[in-house]
Amino acid sequence: MAGVRLEHVFKKYPGSDKASVTDFNLDIQDKEFLVLVGPSGCGKSTTLRMIAGLEEISEGKLYIGDRVVNDVAPKDRDIAMVFQSYALYPHMNVYQNMAFGLKLRKFRKDEIDRRVREAARTLEIEHLLDRKPKALSGGQRQRVALGRAIVREPQVFLMDEPLSNLDAKLRTQMRANISKLMKRLETTCIYVTHDQTEAMTMGDRIVVMKDGLIQQAATPEELYNHPINLFVAGFIGAPAMNFLTGQLVEEGGAVRFKATGVNVEVPQGKAKVLRDKGYIGREIIMGVRPEDLHEEPVFIEASPNSVINASIEVSENLGHEMYLYLNGLGKDNIIARVDGRAGLQEGQNVKLAIDMNKVHVFDKDSELNILEA
Amino acid sequence: MNKSRLQQLQQLLAAPVEMMKVPKKVWTQEGGAKHPEPGAYLQRGGLFWLATKVDASEVQLLQSEGELTPLERELLKWALQGGSGKLTSAATDAENQARRLGDWIQQSIAAGDWRAEIPDRLELHNRLFDGMIPFLLLREQADGRDPSYAELEKAFRSYLSDEMLLIPIREREWLILGSDRLLAEVDTTEEELVEREETKEALQSLATGLHQMLTEEWGGECHVAVAEPIIPTESLVYTVGMLRETMLLGRKFHVGMQVHLPWLIHLERLLNGIPEPVRTRFMEEMAGRQDLFADPETVSTLDAFFAMDCNVSETAKRLFIHRNTLLYRLDKLKQEAGLDVRSFNDAVLVRIMLLLYKVTKRK
Repeated sequence: MAGVRLEHVFKKYPGSDKASVTDFNLDIQDKEFLVLVGPSGCGKSTTLRMIAGLEEISEGKLYIGDRVVNDVAPKDRDIAMVFQSYALYPHMNVYQNMAFGLKLRKFRKDEIDRRVREAARTLEIEHLLDRKPKALSGGQRQRVALGRAIVREPQVFLMDEPLSNLDAKLRTQMRANISKLMKRLETTCIYVTHDQTEAMTMGDRIVVMKDGLIQQAATPEELYNHPINLFVAGFIGAPAMNFLTGQLVEEGGAVRFKATGVNVEVPQGKAKVLRDKGYIGREIIMGVRPEDLHEEPVFIEASPNSVINASIEVSENLGHEMYLYLNGLGKDNIIARVDGRAGLQEGQNVKLAIDMNKVHVFDKDSELNILEA
Repeated sequence: MNKSRLQQLQQLLAAPVEMMKVPKKVWTQEGGAKHPEPGAYLQRGGLFWLATKVDASEVQLLQSEGELTPLERELLKWALQGGSGKLTSAATDAENQARRLGDWIQQSIAAGDWRAEIPDRLELHNRLFDGMIPFLLLREQADGRDPSYAELEKAFRSYLSDEMLLIPIREREWLILGSDRLLAEVDTTEEELVEREETKEALQSLATGLHQMLTEEWGGECHVAVAEPIIPTESLVYTVGMLRETMLLGRKFHVGMQVHLPWLIHLERLLNGIPEPVRTRFMEEMAGRQDLFADPETVSTLDAFFAMDCNVSETAKRLFIHRNTLLYRLDKLKQEAGLDVRSFNDAVLVRIMLLLYKVTKRK
């Protein structure tokens, strides 16, 4: 097993002015499950492909273990990959598909057999070993693709959106299976996805990328609770964090945040930081997670200085929870996530209290989280 | 390696050279790859190791002093090709025969003689009478990691069967002929494939698997085109020319696609044949409407919609979105461009615009 280290890695395609990946620095620990996440075109797949050796590294160094592997061919990097389009070899049965890479590397027959059967047992596909890919379901094919990677017993697994070809139900199931499997194999895994739910549920650590740059690398909890900037705050979490642009004002010894339809008091701890950093009188962006808007009377009574009024434009009841799309606050719709049994209706006016201890404050120009900087 | 060869190598390297065997475990402990292959290089302080032969438990290697540059490593690796530790000539008879056939194909294409018959003087002539599946491979990465003929042939034999032929045509371009019996093996039943559509599907999956196998082993950008089985003696040159054209059009109109199929680029071939002024005029007439394609979501939605034969339910399934979301996107397009892709005539226009947009935006 081995860690992976990227030192000042750049990827620039010929003829392009802009680097696709810029100054990527990251130390991935041995046995860590690291997720690269970001919108389409952010450079996450390119980064993974450079680690895999499928793309040349324009600048910087890549280590797998203690070895610099910039010039090492993929087959000699001791890695195994699972792609989005997991093309199985259609004329070979499942056993042959899994054994292929080992056969090519001239492994002994008994060793190949041991590894294939062990991987098949782990993935619960022993009964499928004689079948051809055409006779398999999507989920089964996906497991064979994983099996093909597992038998290599690599130092590092690289997975590029391996679940995106599966339907929602299967994806959830396979998500858990992969997490469980990687824990059991105790192998370093680098996983690329655009799906933040996948990232949050699977990763020991998540790297959020945008425009070829690392925005933040942190644990899921850290990313969710302490996003470093507006982009990370908006990208992690579903429904996304609400953003309200408004002004911070000092009134009667308290700091208040004022925006369209909003006039709330900032808690003392946060107020002190904002004062010290000279934000009073300036425009800022306040970030509020949908679950930090409360409709429960107890919460509203306990937080008289953070109450807001809005009208419900649309409500989506998912049973256990309800999303309210609110009008009259800030410029855009604000979403609140409330109890599914709250009995709220579209068109109704509603009183909510913001949990001000959990709000985030961003600089309007730099978009950095003022309270985390 | 015999003594005189060893001495020659010592003179070249100006350092003592020793042949030795170490357990694989030692190779790995010293920082080498877990599964080394002949030619693998390892620096150990002031000494280097170069693997010449690898078996299940041991690595036979060559040890010398100093540090080799990447070029020197490649040259030494090349000299040791064959993995047996013997300095051999790089090409085998089979490779030379394949290269002669490849040269002849290239010359015939260059001369415009697409119907040329394979001359008897070419040794491989008698192996070209059976039905074979033609794959054209183009590898593009120029970082010195290109596999040798022997390495590629070994990989293709494992993938396709021993009956295959690997024919180098131009630099980085290879023709691979695999037995058409593979098609029967793709099917889950033992029955012969009679449906043409099923054959095409099987060919596509064989080509996709081949592409994946190559990428996993050597990386780099590589393109594969495949055609329906041929009797090579009858149409080898024509097939190579047609596969080249398929690859060219596929890469021109569908950037990002790496497996190219001749039966899926009829429209692209036609559009490519339209004179530039006519194409430009068409795009000018559609001016403004092309802005729609600046949004990647619109492009991916339309690509999927056309790929699924304009079937709303199937497209929604493929994109993992709700049917109503897809309808909303298509309605938005209708409002903004005045083109309803659910009507045949507008769908044709949008499809052509989209294809031409993909080409023109890269200019």
